[in-house]
Amino acid sequence: MHAPVTHKADMAIRAANVTLSLGSKDASVSILRGVDLEVPYDSSVALLGPSGSGKSSLMAVLAGLEQASGGTVLIDGLDFTKLDEDELARARRGRIGIVLQAFHLLPTMTALENVAIPLELAGLDDPFGRAQSELEAVGLGHRLTHYPSQLSGGEQQRVAIARAMAAGPKIIFADEPTGNLDGSTGTAIVDLLFERRAALGATLLIITHDPELARKCDRVISMQDGHVVESAA
Amino acid sequence: MSLSLAAIWRIARRDLSARIRGLRLLAICLFLGVATLAAIGSLTAGIADELSRRGQSILGGDVEIGIAQREATQAEMAAMRKAGAVSQTIRLRAMAIGSQIGGDSLLAELKAVDNVYPHYGALTLREGGIAKAPAKDEIYIGPTLSERLNIDTGETVRFGEATFKVAGIIAEEPDRLGEGFTLGPVAIINMLSLPDTGLIQPGSMYEAKYRIKLSADEDAAAVAKTLEAQFPSAGWDITDRSNGAPGTRRFIERMGQFLTLVGLAALVIAGIGVGNGVSSYLTSKRASIATLKVTGADSGTIFRIYMLQILAVAAGAIIAGLAVGSVMPMVIGWVAGDILPVAPGFNLHPLPLFVSAVYGLLIAIAFALPPLARARNLPAAGLFRAIVEGNARIDQRSAIWVIAAIGAIITLAVVTAREPLFSLAFIGAAFGLLLLLTGIAWLLRFIALRLPRPKAPLPRLALANLHRPGAQTQALVVALGLGLTLFVTLAAIQTSINNEIKNSVPDRAPSFFALDIPREGAAQFTQMVQQADPKATINMIPALRGTIVEYGGQRVDQLEELPDGAWILNGDRGLTYSGALPKGSEIVAGNWWPANYKGPALVSLEAEAAESLGVSVGDSLTISLLGVEIPAKIASLRTVKWDNFGLNYVMVFSPGSLDAAPHNMVATLTVSKPAERILAKSIPPAFPSSSLIEVGEVTAQITILLSQMAQAIAAAASIAILAGIAVLVGAIAAARQSRIYDSVIMKMLGSTRRQILGAQALEYGILAAVLGLLSLLLGMFAAYYVVVEIFDFSFAPDYSILALTLVGGAGLTFMLGIVGSLPILAARPSEALRSL
Repeated sequence: MHAPVTHKADMAIRAANVTLSLGSKDASVSILRGVDLEVPYDSSVALLGPSGSGKSSLMAVLAGLEQASGGTVLIDGLDFTKLDEDELARARRGRIGIVLQAFHLLPTMTALENVAIPLELAGLDDPFGRAQSELEAVGLGHRLTHYPSQLSGGEQQRVAIARAMAAGPKIIFADEPTGNLDGSTGTAIVDLLFERRAALGATLLIITHDPELARKCDRVISMQDGHVVESAA
Repeated sequence: MSLSLAAIWRIARRDLSARIRGLRLLAICLFLGVATLAAIGSLTAGIADELSRRGQSILGGDVEIGIAQREATQAEMAAMRKAGAVSQTIRLRAMAIGSQIGGDSLLAELKAVDNVYPHYGALTLREGGIAKAPAKDEIYIGPTLSERLNIDTGETVRFGEATFKVAGIIAEEPDRLGEGFTLGPVAIINMLSLPDTGLIQPGSMYEAKYRIKLSADEDAAAVAKTLEAQFPSAGWDITDRSNGAPGTRRFIERMGQFLTLVGLAALVIAGIGVGNGVSSYLTSKRASIATLKVTGADSGTIFRIYMLQILAVAAGAIIAGLAVGSVMPMVIGWVAGDILPVAPGFNLHPLPLFVSAVYGLLIAIAFALPPLARARNLPAAGLFRAIVEGNARIDQRSAIWVIAAIGAIITLAVVTAREPLFSLAFIGAAFGLLLLLTGIAWLLRFIALRLPRPKAPLPRLALANLHRPGAQTQALVVALGLGLTLFVTLAAIQTSINNEIKNSVPDRAPSFFALDIPREGAAQFTQMVQQADPKATINMIPALRGTIVEYGGQRVDQLEELPDGAWILNGDRGLTYSGALPKGSEIVAGNWWPANYKGPALVSLEAEAAESLGVSVGDSLTISLLGVEIPAKIASLRTVKWDNFGLNYVMVFSPGSLDAAPHNMVATLTVSKPAERILAKSIPPAFPSSSLIEVGEVTAQITILLSQMAQAIAAAASIAILAGIAVLVGAIAAARQSRIYDSVIMKMLGSTRRQILGAQALEYGILAAVLGLLSLLLGMFAAYYVVVEIFDFSFAPDYSILALTLVGGAGLTFMLGIVGSLPILAARPSEALRSL
């Protein structure tokens, strides 16, 4: 196991010349073609771009779900390009929260158990007490023992937000968190996401197609063909 | 930082509680494997315990000396008495005749016992109480004799010239097992009554047994050896308590060998089921595993969570298997009844149960680790795109664990086996079979990938299903190959034994065997038979017993050990003399003597027996007949057809050479059905010292024995088949899941159900066609081994039934494959899409 490589953390996210290629040698596809990005602590960034532009792949690389093919990725001062799969998993604990479009709750566990999982994995005290508080904070105090299949889409996404926030992460990644929800539910989820981010003082990087949502962020970054093409405050 | 075991278990339990069904293939296979092993281990331990506990009573003493057609000489008796207390019994076949006038008769085993009998165990009567030898003129009879002749206690029964009063019905004869195969029910009289029956005449067929009781600290085998050395040419059949019932032990050894085969087969099949079960369970858990990784679980945590789940389910299955396996001997004892030589009681046998549990655990680890090791390396990015696992390599540490577990299984199988080489060979063959099937699966994928793409979409889909990444071809080929092989094996074993049963009754078997016909009564006997049926066929020959004392110039008592296969030198053998070549014989060397030959003694020897002795035409052969040595010259060698129920002997002497020795005649009678009934009533009273054996009864007994054996073999083999079916169903169910997605999409695009089923039929058809021939060959080889090598029957399977079994098995596989898809295929496309 490598010793985690730490740098002076003046930025929550610092990516330099990041590339990502997938597939075998014969049929390799370049997804990211040299992305540079810096995101300060306690800020919010919207990532816009057409389908296939590399948004989700960039987020996967930044969240340590995918290994970059080249370049440097510093997350909270940790060099993610130097870590293996298990070290990345440990690096996420208590540092990174992730919210996905398709919720990805564990179908065999209740809402409370789903939220408690990252707390238990991070070895934090009283995982179930904390999970309950977080679920109450997202307005699901009455749904603790429900399974994902017994919850609506909006409720499932609230559980996912509670799960992402419960361990008090420094950085939150959200990949089209309202993509599977109707308009009014989506708005409520976005409000909740920003409210919880503010409460934690965390950095938020959110992928969206919604310009309204993007306007809520401190900064908007646009991507095309694996490049960052525009960055506006 | 790694999580505590308690925290891991909490997560594992929560994840498992809702999806325990996913591990049911693992549970079923482990349960069947462990239950089979525990049942076999407990059963054989129970029988072995019982046999060794009753070793002395089964033999009736510590050392037994059997002598045919004569009683021990004074010198022999003195030697035996010097060794210990001696009990004598004399056993012979005789007709029991009912007391009523014109009453029925039945062939029985008459046993005369002295007042010491039995040295060990207890002779018990149905009326209660332990009995010693009956009083003079009294008799104890077996329950079958009582039922068949309708005689009860207090009534009378006649044997030979003597009439006995029935003093009790026998409940248990302590040395019954040691007596071996008997043709009729037993009847016990006092030794003092035997002369009154007039059944013991010079030349009569009877066996005297002398059981010697030693003091507790004496070595029975050593005593037996010393006694045998004192009388090397006495023709004794000597046994000690360590081998009380050689026939029973042979049966137990054969059955034990077969059951080991079944147990090991169940174990290997269970292993494959465990591997498939865990693999498909973890495939269904991919999203959960990736989600856990997203939330911070490292591969070690993932590994521990799912290992704990697997071990928890495995422990439940093992405990259930042990519980069922431990009570099975009692159930088998109850169901099998008389098939088992001794009834195993309900005793827990900790060692076989422990060994079965260890096997179960090792199998769970060895076969669950590879899919688990692959799952631990599933990247978190698996949530974002469909990941094709392919043949991901497992890490070195897991590989070492797998090898260690397999090594431990092999070691355990060899260390605990009665025949380690046999177990090792079987495990080697099983792994060879798995390798072969894996190779075939690889070849099938390789060829399917390189074949030109069919233009029609459904055949294209069927072909693609065989080779596409993530295809279930590997698991399906192994499960289907194994399943079809097992079906063929069972069918070949069953049809072979059925044919054995059919062939054991020749089409033209005689109606009766008649033994001990007095030589002077032969003419009267023939006359009676011809009166009953003028068209009767009577084949009557002299019957004598003698011991070979010299062959080719070599004295038998000077041999250090008997040549291989020379059973003919063991004790005394049946022999005859004849002017004509006996029916069913064919001369292969030398010449048969003229019918009116009057010269020095000549002998014709059966060819295989001659080969075992290393003698040929022109060599000398001397026999001892009632203590008189008769030298002869080998005139010819013959092959003999033994299975035609005719009369034949290994040694046939020329006329005039043995005539002077006292002897009786034996005969086969072929008569009409009415004559059979007349003779069954008229012969026994007229020839009370003769035995009349109804061939129909003997063949019925043999048929019953073989049928019971066939049922026992089928029942034991069914366990392996059941495990095989579980594996097959599991593999097909796992493959079906990946088919359902294709089926729904094809349906959405306009395919009919018939077309979709056609594509699946084509895919399974290709697999079945490839594996059919292989399974036929492998199954026949396995069945041949069981039938010929283990049970010593002839291999004669019914090929049309084998073909039907193969087609039926393939059809069953196809049905299993499609039946689960039918609800999806029956639904409207929009509904089907929602169910994905």
